[in-house]
Amino acid sequence: MHVLLAEDDTNISVVTQLCLEKIGGHSVVLCVDGESALETALRQPFDLILLDGMMPKLSGLQVALQLQSNGVVGTPIIFLSAKTDDKDISDFLRIGNGYIAKPFDPMTICARIDAILASPGGT
Amino acid sequence: MRGLRFRLHLIILVAFSSIVYFSFKALELRKDATQAQHNAVASLELRSLALTVASSYASTPPTPLAPTLLERLGNWRRAINSAPRRTALVDLIQSLSMNDAAWIRKRALLLAEQEQKTYSEFASEAQHAWQEVEKHAACALLAAVIGFLVLNWTVSLRILRPLDRLSRRMMDFLVDRYSFQFSQPQANELGDLQRTFNSLAQRVINSMDELKTLDQAKSEFLNIASHELRTPLTSIKGSLSLLDSGVMGHIDPNCSRLIKIAEVETDRLIRLINDLLDLAKIEAGKLPLACSWMSWDDLVSKTIEGMTGLAHGAGVNVKVVPAPALEVFMDRDRIQQVLTNLVSNAIKFSPPGSWVTVDVERNKHGQLLVHVRDQGQGISPTDMAMIFQKFRQGSNPDNPLVKGTGLGLAIAKAMVAEHGGDIGVESELGEGSAFWFTMPKWRDDESSSDDSPTDPSPDPSTDPSKDPGPGASPKPASKPRAA
Repeated sequence: MHVLLAEDDTNISVVTQLCLEKIGGHSVVLCVDGESALETALRQPFDLILLDGMMPKLSGLQVALQLQSNGVVGTPIIFLSAKTDDKDISDFLRIGNGYIAKPFDPMTICARIDAILASPGGT
Repeated sequence: MRGLRFRLHLIILVAFSSIVYFSFKALELRKDATQAQHNAVASLELRSLALTVASSYASTPPTPLAPTLLERLGNWRRAINSAPRRTALVDLIQSLSMNDAAWIRKRALLLAEQEQKTYSEFASEAQHAWQEVEKHAACALLAAVIGFLVLNWTVSLRILRPLDRLSRRMMDFLVDRYSFQFSQPQANELGDLQRTFNSLAQRVINSMDELKTLDQAKSEFLNIASHELRTPLTSIKGSLSLLDSGVMGHIDPNCSRLIKIAEVETDRLIRLINDLLDLAKIEAGKLPLACSWMSWDDLVSKTIEGMTGLAHGAGVNVKVVPAPALEVFMDRDRIQQVLTNLVSNAIKFSPPGSWVTVDVERNKHGQLLVHVRDQGQGISPTDMAMIFQKFRQGSNPDNPLVKGTGLGLAIAKAMVAEHGGDIGVESELGEGSAFWFTMPKWRDDESSSDDSPTDPSPDPSTDPSKDPGPGASPKPASKPRAA
C-alpha cells in the first residue's frame, strides 16, 4: 500500500515508518506537520492516510476535515494519538475510519490497520 | 433592642398592662357596687322600722312598741352619717318621748319617706357601679383579644412567614437551585439570618466554583501528562519491539536479553499510565458506563482468548466451567477489563501446570456470581484486607511475572461498583485464592439455541499459537501481551 504518514515526533515517525515498511511492506511518504500532510495528500493519491492527533500548524482532525471538504473522501484515514480524552477519541472515530492509541505495539500495528480497513464502519 | 424583639416586647407589655389595669379597676368598682347595694338594703330595713312605728301609732290607743325596736333605732342613730337621714331619725326618736301619737306618726312617715329616697339613691348608685364593672371587664377582655390578635399577626407575618421563606430557599439551595440574594433583607433579626445565609451560600458557591476549576485543572493536567508520557514511550516501545523482533537484523543473545528486560519494563510503565488515567477518570466520575444486554459466554471466551499468550507463557491452564447461556446488562469493555484483571492476576500467581478456573453461578440474592479461582499460594488475611486499595500488592512472591501496577484491583472494584455489584476474595495460604464479583442485572439468554451451553472456550491455553487478537481497541496496552 502507498501510505501517507503524518507525524511530528521524529522518533515515533522513524519507528512507525520502519514498522510499516519492514513488517507491512508498505511504501511510506512522511510529513512532519499537518500543513505539509494536507498539501501532499491533495497532490497525490494514497491508499491510506495515517495522522497523528496533535501536530504543529494543523492538527490531525483539521487535516482530515480539510481533506474531506476538498473532495478526498475515498482514502481511509486512521488516527494515531496519545490523547485519551473521550471526546477526542469519539471525534477520531467519527471523522476517521479508525483510531490506534499510542503507545502501540509495532509488531501488531499492520495487522490492526488491516483489521480497521476490513471492518465496514471503521474502528 | 432592635426590630422584632422590640416589637414583641411592646405588644406583650401594652396588652398585659391593659389587662391588669382593667381587671383591677373592675375589682375595685365591684367593691363599691356591693357597698352601695348593701346600703340600699339597709335603708329599706330602716324604712320598714319607721313604717312599723307609724302603724303602731296609727291606731288608738297606740300599740306599745317593742323595746328591741327602740334599741335598734338607737343603733341606727350611731350608724348613719348622712345629715338629712340623721335629722329625720333623731326627730323621730325625740318625738317618741313626747307621747303625741299624731306627731310621732308624722315623724315616722317622714323618716320612711327619707329612707325610701335614700334607698333609690343607693340602688341607682349600685346599678351605675355594676355597669362600670361590666365596662371595665369588657375592656380587659378586649385588651386580651386585641393583644392576642396583634401578637399572632406579628408572629406569623413577621417571623413565621419569613422563616418559612428562608427555609424554602435553604431547601432550594440543597437541591442546587439557589435563587440567592433576598431582594431586600429586613432590618431585623430575621434579616440578619437572611444575610448570614446569603454569605454562607455565597461562600459555598465560591468554593464550588473553585473546586470545579481545580477539578478541571486536574483533568487537564492528567490529559497532558499522560499524552506527554505516552509520546516518548511510543518511540521506546517501538524501537525495542523492532529490535527484538529481528526485523532489523540479528542481535547478540546477551543484548537480546537486555532488550527484552527493557521491553517488559516499558510495557509495565505503559500499563501503569493507563491504569492511573482510568482510576483518575473513575474517581472524577468521568467514566460513564455504556451498558447494554451482552452475552456472558461471548465476553468470557473473548477475554480468555486474549490471555492465551500470557497463560501459555506462564504454563498455566485456563478453564471455563460451562454454564447456561446468559445475558448481562453491562458495559462490555469495563467488565472485560475486570475479568482480564482477575484472570491475569490468577495466572501470574499460579505455579506452572496448575489450573485457573472461571465459573459463574447464581448467589442467594439472585445476583450473578463470578469466580476466578487459582491454585496459587493463597493470600494472607492481612494482605486480603488491603489488596483492593490503590498501590497495594500482596507480599511479592519470587515470581518475575508478578509485576503489576498495584492499581488493577482498585480499578476492578470501582468498575464493579459502578455496575452495582460487589467484589471480594476468599483465600487460604497454600490453598489458592478465589476472587469473585457480582453482577446484579442478568437474564437467561432466550435467543440462544438449545445446544449452546457447551464450553464456549475449550481450554484456550492448549492452543498457544493464537496471539492476542489484532483490533482497534482504544487501549491496546491494557491487554497483556505474551510474556
